[in-house]
Amino acid sequence: MTDHSLRTSGTSWRRRLRPVGFAANTTVAWVFALVFSFPLIWTFFTALKPANEVFGARISFIGSRVLWSNFADAWTEVDFGRLLTNSLVIAAISTVLTLIVATLTAFAFARLKFPGRSAVFLLFVITLTLPSEVAVVPLFLGFDQARLADTWIALILPGLFGAFGAFLLRQFMLQIPAELEEAARIDGASTWRILISVIVPLVRPALSVLAIFAFLGSWNSFLWPLIILNSSDLWTIPIGIAGFTTQTGTQWQLLMAACVMTIAPVVVVVAVAQRQLVAAIGAGAFGGR
Amino acid sequence: MMSLRRDLVGNEVAGGSVAPQNRSRGRLHRRPLGGPRWVGWAFVLPGLIGLAVFIVIPQVASLVLGFSESTLLGGIEFTGTQNFVRLLRDPQFLNSVLVTAIFVLVYVPANIAISMAMALWLKTRIAGRNWLRVIFLIPALSPMVANAAVFRLLFQKDGAINQLLTGIGLGPVPWLSDGNWALAVVIGVSLWQSFGYNMIVLGAGIDSISPDVIAASRIDGAGRLRRFFAITLPLVSPALFFTTVLTVIGAWQTFAQAYVITGGGPGNSTMTIMLYLYQTAFTNDQLGYASAIATVLFVIIAIFTLFQLWGQRKWVHYD
Repeated sequence: MTDHSLRTSGTSWRRRLRPVGFAANTTVAWVFALVFSFPLIWTFFTALKPANEVFGARISFIGSRVLWSNFADAWTEVDFGRLLTNSLVIAAISTVLTLIVATLTAFAFARLKFPGRSAVFLLFVITLTLPSEVAVVPLFLGFDQARLADTWIALILPGLFGAFGAFLLRQFMLQIPAELEEAARIDGASTWRILISVIVPLVRPALSVLAIFAFLGSWNSFLWPLIILNSSDLWTIPIGIAGFTTQTGTQWQLLMAACVMTIAPVVVVVAVAQRQLVAAIGAGAFGGR
Repeated sequence: MMSLRRDLVGNEVAGGSVAPQNRSRGRLHRRPLGGPRWVGWAFVLPGLIGLAVFIVIPQVASLVLGFSESTLLGGIEFTGTQNFVRLLRDPQFLNSVLVTAIFVLVYVPANIAISMAMALWLKTRIAGRNWLRVIFLIPALSPMVANAAVFRLLFQKDGAINQLLTGIGLGPVPWLSDGNWALAVVIGVSLWQSFGYNMIVLGAGIDSISPDVIAASRIDGAGRLRRFFAITLPLVSPALFFTTVLTVIGAWQTFAQAYVITGGGPGNSTMTIMLYLYQTAFTNDQLGYASAIATVLFVIIAIFTLFQLWGQRKWVHYD
């Protein structure tokens, strides 16, 4: 108690200044966030400008006219509608398949005992440190040999088996008490039944986080689609955007409209699921950047 | 390997290793629940086959193909170490190694430092902290290609950045037409995109430090700086190690930023190893030679990873 009173007398001025410090700290942080967001803000305003006002002598956010029609033009000029549909369908298929594979694997690691489990587990762990993009050439050759190059099958398959998803689910499954499983077993449930009716409902939060990451992984992926897809009617958004930028005489306002439409869904997803995403990333569930 | 495994897989870094968990779950596994013992294999098999076919085998095949001359239509012809001899004398390749090395040496320390600083800052009293976190995280979860396109616009000769700089009298900077500046832009967009992610990993590490430890050090009279180096840093070191290993692996494989913003130019000043690999394989149809490049990249990454695994004993504290 004496210690405490000593401390208060020593730091009373500090305590009085605390609201000021709080306000200053908050202001600085939000100004920094604003500067950080400038590229995205600028993208949005550029997307609304007339073509000849994208560049200029002085910086200005709003052009002489505000052209919402640029978004519609991007839709026709870059064929953004098709790119969007392709990206959505591919991401949806990838997400569902990733969840299925990861659930089965995680269940085996977390709740089943089988000979060689530790060895298989170790193999999964080691693959986490493999530089995946280094191996694109044989992957491409393999699909080419199988006459699957330039198909969505070849695009989707290699992305389904990353070990991070299985580890995330395993971590959650390990926390489920064994009693639940034993009770179901006594009631005569099969292993499969236990997975579907007992385990999966209990790890639903982890499944939804994994679903978001699988979706974004597919949505963002660039190198592999660039390699494996040749026909423009199969392209995804990143391929369309990259192709758009390398043309001479880029129509920046349309490109930025496309970028806005590409990044906006991510912003919505991250804002809605922020708590779960932050928890999963913090747990190291999806590696680093 | 052991400690990395604990780190990568254990949700809480401590106690995540495999064996103790099995032991503590003995009751569950005394009587195999899934009927016959092979049932577990049935569940693990889809994932295992996929992992083998699409991740492990391509890695091995890449090492093998490096010793061949291969084209898409001409087939595969083994040529011994010829590709590697050629690589040593290929100025374009040596340049790409140098460019990527500079990228890694600047990007990784900067990324870790910024992520750490931001993680610490967001622990202080700030209104709307959670929303700030979301703002910094968004670029890390959006397509690199879109982010890169945005930066390509910003850093055009008469783009927004130069407009701002001219406004305050710092003149236009030849961002994308000068090699050094172009590499700086590529590093810049990478940092802007990525630090939010590592910030959250490190932030979680900081959160897991017991407040008692901090309070004790405060009572002992440790100052802020002292507290950071003596308490926070050692206790965050597992998360820091995890982040660094994966950031290094990713940095050596940098591709999309350079592809979209500069195409490797001007000259070859932003030609990363992956970009050179891509062009060699898929523009010039030299698949064997590209695999040799992949092999060298693989070895470089392996050396960096193993070096960190070896070095961690000196600075990473588990518990």
